[in-house]
Amino acid sequence: MVLATAALPVVEVASFGLAKGAVFALLALGLVLIYRTTGVTNFAHWGIGLSGIVIYFLLTSKAHTPTPLAAIISIVACAAIGAISYRLVFRYVKRTNQLVLILIALGVAQFFAALTAWGFGFEPTTIVKPWLPVSNIKVGTAEVQSTQVIAAVVAVVISLLFMAWFRYARTGRALRAVAQNREAASLAGIDEHRYSMIAWAIGSALAGLALLLIIPHTSGQSGGVITTGDTTPFGTFLIPAFGAALVGGLVNLPLAVVGGFIFGLAQEMLILAPSPWGGLRSTIAAILIVILLLMHMERFFVARAELEALEA
Amino acid sequence: MTAVTAAETAIAEPDAGVRARGVSLGRLRISRSRAIAGAVLLGLGFIPVVVPHHDFWMYIGAYIAVWAMLELSIVVVTGFAGMISLMPFTFVGIGCFASGVAVSVWGWPFWLAVPFAAAATVPVSIAVGAASVRLKGLYLAIATLTFGNALGETLFKWNAFTGGQQGHTIVRPKLGVLSFRGDFSFYVLAMLVALLLVWMVHGLKASRVGRAMLSVRDNEREAQALGINAIKTKLTALVIGGAIAGVGGAFYLALLRTAAPAGFQSPYVEISSVLLVVWAVIGGIDSAFGAFLGATALIVQQQVYQGVGERLGAWLGLYAAAILVVFLITRPGGLVQVVKIQRERIHSDRIRGGIETFVILAINVVIVYLILHFGK
Repeated sequence: MVLATAALPVVEVASFGLAKGAVFALLALGLVLIYRTTGVTNFAHWGIGLSGIVIYFLLTSKAHTPTPLAAIISIVACAAIGAISYRLVFRYVKRTNQLVLILIALGVAQFFAALTAWGFGFEPTTIVKPWLPVSNIKVGTAEVQSTQVIAAVVAVVISLLFMAWFRYARTGRALRAVAQNREAASLAGIDEHRYSMIAWAIGSALAGLALLLIIPHTSGQSGGVITTGDTTPFGTFLIPAFGAALVGGLVNLPLAVVGGFIFGLAQEMLILAPSPWGGLRSTIAAILIVILLLMHMERFFVARAELEALEA
Repeated sequence: MTAVTAAETAIAEPDAGVRARGVSLGRLRISRSRAIAGAVLLGLGFIPVVVPHHDFWMYIGAYIAVWAMLELSIVVVTGFAGMISLMPFTFVGIGCFASGVAVSVWGWPFWLAVPFAAAATVPVSIAVGAASVRLKGLYLAIATLTFGNALGETLFKWNAFTGGQQGHTIVRPKLGVLSFRGDFSFYVLAMLVALLLVWMVHGLKASRVGRAMLSVRDNEREAQALGINAIKTKLTALVIGGAIAGVGGAFYLALLRTAAPAGFQSPYVEISSVLLVVWAVIGGIDSAFGAFLGATALIVQQQVYQGVGERLGAWLGLYAAAILVVFLITRPGGLVQVVKIQRERIHSDRIRGGIETFVILAINVVIVYLILHFGK
């Protein structure tokens, strides 16, 4: 068929989809880690990640910190924010009452939405400077933004490192023990609260990294734009990130990463679809999420005991 | 961890620990707390008679009444049936635009548009319920969050329904010689309808269906063992909650006179939905009066902090989030529970209880003052 499809920027679109997928994957990793270890569906994940962007923005625009340094500081700050959220709030909520747990997570999400709006000074739009090298890479006839490639690569590398760490390192093993059986873990001398705090810190740092990979680079050299629509409880990324996490039933780490790329690519590649199907772009995440929810993916991945502990 | 255990029992049985002391009015038995709440609500209804007819305050009063209707839908769905829905504002939008189409396109009278708005939410409630009623807790929360988002992208971008970017503009209704066009008369109308809905939701809680909802919320398996059809009960709760939100939506449109679809699209629909849920919890999520208290607290604050300007949203967000977390951990019954506890305290020890209540009120006044003073 000689159609106009050849003229469509397949490579560019795919590369943006990959970058978005990388962000969803990192967000989903954090969601899964926090859910498995503490049973909290972290509706505040976007807000915590965006707090990192606020710190990055304030450091680069007000304190004139070099951008890579500011990025590292804000990722560390995200970890601290996550740990503090656990220490101050979620530590005191028993995980057996899901209603209360979800409502509190919503409250914290709203808290961060308000805090970030304040941090950006209530401007309708805010420009955030880029910190990764911005250039165009030639792939065949197409040109791809370097930051998108970096985002995808970083996401894959970080997820692999994280999964290896979760599997083999001492702390990772302790975290898994807490996830599988809190009581047995604490009998074995693992401080449940300490490791929950670590899980929150790492999950939040991943959220901060995820947003730092994409938000400051959405419009290339000139940086990224934050609008008031971003300083909301769930932003635009949290729903697909939950979808990605649901691919692994909110408990499986590798599938959450795969899910991230599925959601990112599905959303972006639908731009190229012929007209009636292109409209699916805005609802594809919802459709996939409902299917995943009804499939109850979690039953394939964890022992019954852990599942019951999570869903008590 | 005593606070947490207390929190959990109170979510399960909010009336636990509060002795029933009632006044008997013939066949009607009204507990004293309800009598007081009823008196306060009636008092709200008479404010316009006492206070000079200042349109601004009338508008706020109407706003509170409409917002209370919206909160009531959450009381039914989340408070009674225990399903976390993160799309209440989507149902408000459906009611809003259904009545908008009926009035401004088809030329129906407003009084017919209100039941039509309620009816328009039913198919959506059933569709949402069919897809998600088997889901529990967080899965339901994620599902409804997603539905709200997806409907914002589809239904609220459908121009025939939303009337395009501008939305619908309607004229407030008239009933024979009675006109509800002014802020004062509309306030009276909205307050009457809100009180009617409060009364109905309150009755629902005591009815057979309502008790079935409460038992499904507390323990689904146990409820099923007792012969309650959990799926049907949950669907009923969704349909009733949706219909209430639909009625609220119709009045929301009449209150604002015009509504644009942007407020019901992502991400604004999520903000409003979370705001509704959060303030329903602060008011007292399983009490019809709690919905009223929550709505009043929210709207009064919105107006008080109006002077703080654009930071209003942020301050309210921070304040609401902090209150929500503190309430859920210490007073999960919300403002209703606070009122009950303080009433008990005053009753058992007039002086200490009175001082304590006074201190609580004073702290609130100080917080408002501090925010007003330093918020700028």
